[in-house]
Amino acid sequence: MTLLSLAILIPWAAGIALVAVDGRRPVVGWAAVATLGGTLVALVALGAEVLTHGEVVVTTGGWPRGVGITLRADAAGVLFAVLSVGVLLAATAHLVMGGVRERTFPGIVVLLAAGLTGLFLTGDLFNFYVFFELAMLASYVLATYGGSRRSLGSALVFTLVNLLGTFVFLLSVAGIYHVTGTLDMAAIGARMDAVDPNAGILIAVGFFVAFSVKLGLFPFHFWLPTVYTGARPAVAAILAGGLANVGAYGLLRFGGELLPRELDLAAGALVVIGAASVLYGGVLAISRHNGSEMLAYSAIGQVGYVLVAVGIGGPVGFAAAVMISIVNSLNKVLLFLTTRMRGAIVGWAFLLGALSVAGVPPAVGFVAKMELFRAAADAPALLVLLFLGSAMSLLYAFQIYQYDFWRTERHGPRSHRSQLAVLGIVAAVVLVAGLWPEPLVYLSDAAARAVGGAAVVVGDGTVVSDGLPAVTSAP
Amino acid sequence: MTLIYALAAGALFGIGAYLVMRRDLLRVVLGVVVISQAATLTLMASALGFGAAPIYPLPSGAISDPLSQAMALTSVVIGLATTALLLVLVLRVVDVFRSQGLDEVAEDEVAQEATLDAEHALGHEDEEAAAR
Repeated sequence: MTLLSLAILIPWAAGIALVAVDGRRPVVGWAAVATLGGTLVALVALGAEVLTHGEVVVTTGGWPRGVGITLRADAAGVLFAVLSVGVLLAATAHLVMGGVRERTFPGIVVLLAAGLTGLFLTGDLFNFYVFFELAMLASYVLATYGGSRRSLGSALVFTLVNLLGTFVFLLSVAGIYHVTGTLDMAAIGARMDAVDPNAGILIAVGFFVAFSVKLGLFPFHFWLPTVYTGARPAVAAILAGGLANVGAYGLLRFGGELLPRELDLAAGALVVIGAASVLYGGVLAISRHNGSEMLAYSAIGQVGYVLVAVGIGGPVGFAAAVMISIVNSLNKVLLFLTTRMRGAIVGWAFLLGALSVAGVPPAVGFVAKMELFRAAADAPALLVLLFLGSAMSLLYAFQIYQYDFWRTERHGPRSHRSQLAVLGIVAAVVLVAGLWPEPLVYLSDAAARAVGGAAVVVGDGTVVSDGLPAVTSAP
Repeated sequence: MTLIYALAAGALFGIGAYLVMRRDLLRVVLGVVVISQAATLTLMASALGFGAAPIYPLPSGAISDPLSQAMALTSVVIGLATTALLLVLVLRVVDVFRSQGLDEVAEDEVAQEATLDAEHALGHEDEEAAAR
């Protein structure tokens, strides 16, 4: 219980303090790194408690449950929070080692961590919106980092599109409150069954649009390439590896727990949109010659897999969606951080990331692709799509590898040793999780159960408890 | 009553959407502000009811729902913060691009892309020359 409060309070208080001081001084940057590290420790401890004793629920202010705002930590929330704060920690450390150029940067990153932790650990719908907006505001400022023409232009696009997305989200929140009369996520899930299906679908579409914009799925992707290529590598890593988790988590939490009936209804459409995203991202990534542009389009393709997995649904589909989100953000951090570095270690790290994106064995991407294949085993068309998508990712990733590391030397200043160490740590995580995937499989199964993957709603509305099949996938 | 609120929110959203489509950056910002008002109005409309103010001790009879008012208040405050941020961002864009139009920003992007492509082509040519 104290851990839950601490995980939100540490970055929040520290962020407010850090924004006030000049972030260009190294000590402030390291204070931000230390804060993120402390938050990560609190979250990991909280995760251990959640996995052993079940979910932790706190009602703020000592109000009775149902009146006060509920904070809730379950396996899915803690897993995504640990992942996002870990990504922020790696990217911030990388940037601080290279020298921070803007005075607000350390404070803003820590506030972004506060927003992300809060939204992953809340059990209240409106509170989710508030933390969501906090995280988004921090990311709008982050997108301007560098202050060049290019990053300003892309930050403007990013801010406008995502602001519209959050207002659509807010409209759906109002809709949910109108039809269910509650903001407690657990209660909404139960009360949605009695709601007129038409209203339910309208609300679900609103949430879907809002989260798809965050994820950068195919029809809502237009802002993404500009922003990811315009931003600094570390900032792009934070946006692609940390902030994009909000979209994946939102689809799982809102689809699986709050609106399972609507998710069931839209499953086919989700798979189609996801497939379109995979193909579009893959084809355009092949056509790019520049590392960060390739990564931006590859990001569109990779989130398509998340949507396909959510569309397949059930315990296997949700577990696959969780795992792909985790692997995606690890890949994106690793690859975006390499984009402006050079040297042999960078080459190896890029190679490992490329293998992971393509789903080739020693890297963790293989485990995620494996889970997805398992989830899609009944649909031959989907298997073809997954195979095609993997082949395309192999092609675009190695095209860049060949151009950037084989044929020409990268130009620019030599990379710091310490930055290479950060890169090495992220690469080690990708490699070790690929060689020893049991913890990852266990965690994503637990997360899938937490967002309702265990109970499948069958057509006539009866809830069937679906036992999780034994996990046997290990390379 | 709900219908009136719905129509008003719909109209506001429409006006906002129209403004967002304009090329002038200031109008785009105003469009976002108007859309945020549409969202606030919808929050208020989500629990419409006539009654006394919900202050303890509760009066007998119907009381109005305080939660939707609280949500609307919060969203107004957040809307204020986002508007301020957006205006600062636009100010910086105007400063850097010396223009208030979206066209210039887009043109700049196209030019950037062309330079990148040219650089890439140059790299290839060098390489091919070296291979020969």
